[in-house]
Amino acid sequence: MAERSDTGASSPESIKQTAPFGKGNIVSEDLVVRYGHVTALDHFSVEVPKGVVGLLGPNGAGKSTFIKAVLGLLKPQQGKVTVEGLDSIQDRLSIRDRIGYMPEHDCLIESMTGVELVSYMGRIAGMSKDDSIPRSHEVLDFVGLTEQRYRPISTYSTGMKQRIKLAQAIVHDPSIIFLDEPTSGMDPQGREEMLELIGRIAASDKSILLSSHILHDVEKVCKKVVIISNGKAVTQGDIDALLAQGDERKRMVVRGQPEALRLFIVQLSKELEVSSVSEEFKQFTVVIVNPKGSSRIFELAQSSGVQIRSYLPERFTLEDVFIDAVKEVK
Amino acid sequence: MGLNPIEYRPWKGQRSEHVRRFLVIADSILRHSLRSKWFLAVLIIGFFLAFGLNIIFLSITPHESLTGEQMASLLNNGIFYIFIVILVSMICSDLLAEDMRSSSLVLYLSRALRPVGYVLGKFAGAFETLAIFALLPPIILAVSITATQSGSDYLSSAEVILETVLAGFLATVFLIPIGMMISSLTRRRTYAAVGTFMFVFVLGIVASIFSQFDPNWQLIDPGNVLFYSFDVIFGVSLPQDIDAWLLLGMALLFTIPPMALAYYQVLRKGVGK
Repeated sequence: MAERSDTGASSPESIKQTAPFGKGNIVSEDLVVRYGHVTALDHFSVEVPKGVVGLLGPNGAGKSTFIKAVLGLLKPQQGKVTVEGLDSIQDRLSIRDRIGYMPEHDCLIESMTGVELVSYMGRIAGMSKDDSIPRSHEVLDFVGLTEQRYRPISTYSTGMKQRIKLAQAIVHDPSIIFLDEPTSGMDPQGREEMLELIGRIAASDKSILLSSHILHDVEKVCKKVVIISNGKAVTQGDIDALLAQGDERKRMVVRGQPEALRLFIVQLSKELEVSSVSEEFKQFTVVIVNPKGSSRIFELAQSSGVQIRSYLPERFTLEDVFIDAVKEVK
Repeated sequence: MGLNPIEYRPWKGQRSEHVRRFLVIADSILRHSLRSKWFLAVLIIGFFLAFGLNIIFLSITPHESLTGEQMASLLNNGIFYIFIVILVSMICSDLLAEDMRSSSLVLYLSRALRPVGYVLGKFAGAFETLAIFALLPPIILAVSITATQSGSDYLSSAEVILETVLAGFLATVFLIPIGMMISSLTRRRTYAAVGTFMFVFVLGIVASIFSQFDPNWQLIDPGNVLFYSFDVIFGVSLPQDIDAWLLLGMALLFTIPPMALAYYQVLRKGVGK
């Protein structure tokens, strides 16, 4: 049975916020939103730049509240949000003209057909009737809904509903798009296609804020990420930079007599940061943070009488970054 | 399903003004209602029973001119009122309840539409739809009586036509807030429809019981408030034991607080509470 002892060496400090994004497209400063006694956003400051940005956080972290604050649907008790320089409260209607929102939950008017709904939402966003109908067909072609568009939405599968939700979010050609769990409930092929669509939309100079629990999806389409936990932005930065913070981490598998192995670990931890040690089938897997060369490690192994079976770089995954960032706040 | 090999194309059109967007909602409600066979059936039956026969009968009966008393008695008609209640129940049933159930409210409010614009759009849609029964037919009736009058005083008849427009407007507007309020309190359109009908019906029963002790209790029935308001509009004197100020108070009570409650519900749901 594998046993993992986390020494805490890979503390969140080691993977925390990388360089700030720079000038943000959406900027929240010291934002505080409370629902009664519950603080949903707690001095939340973040800068969301152009491009596809992942918005990650556990359930109840404050992701939806942040989106509502950006849309001006709720008034913060403190702080402010600006979108392309516009204030979320004073200029809320101008902001909403620039935003397309794809909610996570079911929100479609099921008595309408797909094309009716998309065209209707386009008209509410200010399009004329003459513009909204051809544009609806155009975006429905884009999201891959063909003859199904003439069927009532109540007959749609989950995948079709996700596509319709995306279509209504982009029908009025917003410059910023919020996608809340866009691949939720979709089959693997549908998921790939949805990510492909997001990539195509992003290619036309849009800002996309993607909220998802599926970190693989986020890693696949996002260049940047903001991690929210307990109403605070705990980590934000380029995904590559966040993951690269683990470049000094190495994973090594050592084998030997139990006593020799223990001695090796003790000596190792005196000289280097040992992140974790696990034992399985008479061999130890050790994760260390080693900014120096590897020769000293091999010397220690030789003097302790243990055999190094493998010595490889241990890269962070987005999951590591997420878990550590969330753990810090808890 | 598969994707078409097409790229995302931007849209370069002109947007309408923010203040006019509620009209899109109103337009959608009218279209939706006119596609419902049940709605059309009730509309036709109601029109025939409340106005059709009167239009034919009064047009062929010799008459000097159109009078306020005549229009007041024609509109103070139980059938007219019952069909208004039925149509309001039908129209308002899915006005807000359906959006609350399906959470589609979030789609509206994520666009450049304030909660007040959303509620106004729903109200305007219900108004446009109900006006087909409660505003247009009274005007048609008044115009047809005027067109077939034997006397030459068209000015006084025209004045009554204007009063009819006002009465029709009131008849259209009066019960919609109650329907919207009930619709905002439930997520089921059936409950909203039955709730609206029963609300009005129960108040009518309460009024008939307590009016034996004081005639002003009649004003707890929205139907009586509407009928006495017609009397006021057409210049027919109110019964002596009915307090005109109380009538005004009840008319406001049946419209403003229900609208405020419906608006509050939308506001509350809009921010996800």
